[in-house]
Amino acid sequence: MSDPKKIDEEQKSRSVLFLLSAIALVVTGLWAVWNDNISRRPWKHYQHEFRQVEYERADQAFQNEQARLAEDPEYLKAVETATASRKSFDEGEGARSLSARQTELDELNDELATVDLDVRFVKSELEEAWYEYEHAKEIGGATEEKRARVDSLEEYRVKAQAELDRVQGEVTAVEEAMATLRASVTEADSAVTKLVAEAVSLEQQRDGLLVHVGGPLRVFKVPKIEQTILEEFDRNAYNQPVARVDRCMSCHIAINRKGFEDLPQPLTTHPDRELLLAKHPPEQVGCTPCHDGQGAAPNSTEQAHGHVIHWEHPLLHGDELQARCDGCHQNVENLPHAERLADGRRLFEELGCHGCHLVTDYGELTKVGPYLRRVAAKVDPSWLTRWVTNPHDYRPHTRMPNFMFDDDDGTAVAAYLLSVSAEESSAWLEEHPAPSGIDPANAALVAEGEALTQSVGCKGCHAFVAGERGPMLGASKDIAPNLSNIAEKTDARWIFHWLKNPRHYSPASKMPSLRLSDGEASAVASYLLTLGTKKAEPAARLAALDADATVAHGETLVRKFGCAGCHDIPGMESESRIGVELSTFENKTLDQLFFGERGDIPHTWYDWTYNKIKTPRTYETERIEQLMPNFDLPKEDIEALIIFLAGRNEEYVPKKYRYAADDSRQAQIVEGQRLVARYNCTGCHVVDEQGGFIRALYEETPSFAPPILNGEGSKVQPDWLFGFLQDPIPIRPWLQVRMPTFNLSNEETNTLVNYFTALAELDVPFVHVAADAIPEDHITAGKLLLSKDYFDCFSCHVQGANKPEGPPEGWAPDFAMAKDRLNPDWIVEWLHDPQQVQPGTKMPSFYPGGPDDLLGGSDDRQIDAIRDYLMILGTPRAQAATVLAEPPPDPNS
Amino acid sequence: MRTSTLTVTLTALAAFLALGTGAHAYDGGPVADGGTISGTVVFDGAAPAPEKIAVTKDKPVCGEEKVSPALAVGADGGIANVVVRLTNISKGKPLEVPASNPVFDQKGCEYTPHVLLFPAGTTIDILNSDGILHNVHTTSEANTSFNQAQPKFKKKLQKTIEKPEMGIKVVCDAHGWMSAWWISQDHPYYALTDAKGAFSMGDVPAGDYDIEFWHETLGKHMDKVSVTAGGTATLTVKMAKK
Repeated sequence: MSDPKKIDEEQKSRSVLFLLSAIALVVTGLWAVWNDNISRRPWKHYQHEFRQVEYERADQAFQNEQARLAEDPEYLKAVETATASRKSFDEGEGARSLSARQTELDELNDELATVDLDVRFVKSELEEAWYEYEHAKEIGGATEEKRARVDSLEEYRVKAQAELDRVQGEVTAVEEAMATLRASVTEADSAVTKLVAEAVSLEQQRDGLLVHVGGPLRVFKVPKIEQTILEEFDRNAYNQPVARVDRCMSCHIAINRKGFEDLPQPLTTHPDRELLLAKHPPEQVGCTPCHDGQGAAPNSTEQAHGHVIHWEHPLLHGDELQARCDGCHQNVENLPHAERLADGRRLFEELGCHGCHLVTDYGELTKVGPYLRRVAAKVDPSWLTRWVTNPHDYRPHTRMPNFMFDDDDGTAVAAYLLSVSAEESSAWLEEHPAPSGIDPANAALVAEGEALTQSVGCKGCHAFVAGERGPMLGASKDIAPNLSNIAEKTDARWIFHWLKNPRHYSPASKMPSLRLSDGEASAVASYLLTLGTKKAEPAARLAALDADATVAHGETLVRKFGCAGCHDIPGMESESRIGVELSTFENKTLDQLFFGERGDIPHTWYDWTYNKIKTPRTYETERIEQLMPNFDLPKEDIEALIIFLAGRNEEYVPKKYRYAADDSRQAQIVEGQRLVARYNCTGCHVVDEQGGFIRALYEETPSFAPPILNGEGSKVQPDWLFGFLQDPIPIRPWLQVRMPTFNLSNEETNTLVNYFTALAELDVPFVHVAADAIPEDHITAGKLLLSKDYFDCFSCHVQGANKPEGPPEGWAPDFAMAKDRLNPDWIVEWLHDPQQVQPGTKMPSFYPGGPDDLLGGSDDRQIDAIRDYLMILGTPRAQAATVLAEPPPDPNS
Repeated sequence: MRTSTLTVTLTALAAFLALGTGAHAYDGGPVADGGTISGTVVFDGAAPAPEKIAVTKDKPVCGEEKVSPALAVGADGGIANVVVRLTNISKGKPLEVPASNPVFDQKGCEYTPHVLLFPAGTTIDILNSDGILHNVHTTSEANTSFNQAQPKFKKKLQKTIEKPEMGIKVVCDAHGWMSAWWISQDHPYYALTDAKGAFSMGDVPAGDYDIEFWHETLGKHMDKVSVTAGGTATLTVKMAKK
């Protein structure tokens, strides 16, 4: 018996349970759809928001155009004309004629259809007849009858075709007649169409933003992921190339569209779209190569911008972005928006960071510090001990960093340097005897020397008064020493010989020779010796310099602190770098950065680096010694260096994404820039739109300043430039400032010549002038144009030994040099508009406006003639050229 | 030819834009019963001896020696070539470009006149009476600087100065001592002192004005002047070496 209270399983109702699970399933399903499509797709919201704004603006533009048309008298008049002409046509003879013609046309079209069909049929039949005839011929059957059919059909086809052509002609004639009848109306209509074209186009643009769903229903475009795929941009853990995917534009949808600058992020237009995005279209190169972030993850702002744990490249901000420029650009000098990176790179190279820290591509740079093999012949020992102990006491803006030695260590380093250089120093002293004629007490001599330092160009690099600033490296360092207390450091003998030829003392010196005569060098030395006075250290300290123990201790210190990274020191030629390699410094994670006891410094890569450069031994602890010296850099220089360091990473941009990767000119420019910086060419010259420090002294008389060298590569012949750089000769006799002799090596000189050629983007730097091919009329005309009756060029220009009248400051360059020195193409450009080539030049414009009586009055031909004549100036052919016996006619007579 | 058309178009456009912004709009119209400002500018102190400049080239045309035109003090201490102008006038007689172009001559390797005043938009006829190579090199900020050669065969050049600008310096690079000043005006109330230091300007609407005296070596001097309808305001101004 069954238990009556017990209900069979079959009879049990599970409906409530089912209902609840069904509801749960539906809810879960809906949630899944919602979550997948809405809450995890924030970019959809942004796109929708943008589509609305975009539509509103397009609609507004259309409405505005309509409103403008409604008030445009031209448009109103055109509409009136069109209406009137249609009305008069409809009511007048025109409409009736048109209607009659239309009937005629309809009948003709019927006929045309019939004839056309006839022609088609006969053509088909003809095909068949030809087949039968050819087939019969092939199988050797009877062909006559078949041939006859072909001929008769062909005859018929010709007739039918003629009939078709006739009817076709009539149709065209009637159509043309109708067009003529309608002409006035059509013309008036097309005038209106033209005026409303803009409105129509705006309306189409607006409507194009919507999608027709059917009937009157229209919706905004369905949001979709906008992505750029950069093939083979990255490398995976196995060093295989993988694609990078940037989906940034799914939210930043208008980043490359003009006209949305006023919208908030992420919908706004790129702030420098016209320059940056024109060169780097995000549809092709993505966003993260410059901005960093996690471009493939648009699910949330935090993810997309890489502000999530373990993502190593979060979004960069402000100047930090510049760290990415040199991933693709070798040459960052004058690269817009890369100014801070260029500063950082220059600081890194010129502060000598590479002396201790290896960085890929920066390993082969020259040592930045002075040559110490003969230092005992140069410096006062007392001064050296003070200098080593803290160089910033003597020169606050020197590049030499402070190693924070105590007095004993300072003395030891000095003792070692003096001892190790003693031998070479005495040899040098023997070859360079003490000069006579130097006398700092002779006021006239001192004044002469001071005047020379002001005039020959010393001030392009050096300052002579405490607090005065010469050209600077970064925001605080002097490029060349401030000489306001030079007499404290060295003596007359060394100064004299150094001035005469710096490379006799230091074979790779940056200091050039100004080609001073002995008298001039003595005067300058006398002046320099009035700047500062010797200060003797206590006798005990000086005595310690000679002690073997001090010297030995000094050697240990010099090795330990890596002095040979910047200086050439005897016996230390094979010392290796003492600092850590920085080639992938950006990839250092926080656990690799040692914060020591500085819990107060925020634990970020940036803060660690900033404080390391600012106070290099700040992370030192009792157990961990640190050696890096203090460069005493201001905030902006530290920031520039950080931008440079933030680009030192393992990421390697594939060649196809890099700028001008196959163009060897970029490398030549970078090489040249290093030399230009090393020799401080920009202290005197403006090169590549930069520099020209010394020009500030010539504000009143810019023609006395050293020449501006923008575009020099296209101006001068490379072989001439090579010779000039090796052994400069005066080109502008009126200048007191002198182009120094740098005693450059062949390699250096070639680097500089290539640099100027590369800057000028010349593919063909050398230009040959075929003197024999110059036509005679160019020579006679050129000679005349230069003469007193025409342009009177020799009023200012020197020609060899023939000097112009008047003082040299009014003179202009020697024409005799033009042939070897100038690129003939440049002469043409120069004569066309000298102010354009060199703003402010004394050379006036002679063109347009050449004389009418030479070479047909053609400016271009006259300019070519002047160029050609200059190319053969001084040759017998030029001298023999006949000039007119009669003076040219006076245009006023 | 093409270049010059472009330049003309560009300068015209620039002039149009300058008018469009109306930064210092001046309203021209008929002036009824205007007053006159006249006066003299005299040198404060003993008149310096005229500075001599040695001629260094082209002596047959230029002569042996020049008297510097920079500071010319007359017998009674009057200073020539002082530019006098009202600085705060916004309404008065219309500014009209002269019917015939002012002439700026190079004669005996000197510029005549040494100071040339004209309304903005004026075309200047630059003559070369010397028949040797001169060049006209201007240094301008508001207008476009130019450096135009004027060789022997080019007797006349024409240049239009579109925008108002105080003190466009003109020099000849071929003859270092030659210099002149062009003053381009945005209203008609300006005058230049004569050899006795006297100046006069008429048709000034009654009112109180700031008046500026500018000399190339003595600098600027500001004064105030009240003009009554039909009356004459007389000023005597002293200027000294700075």
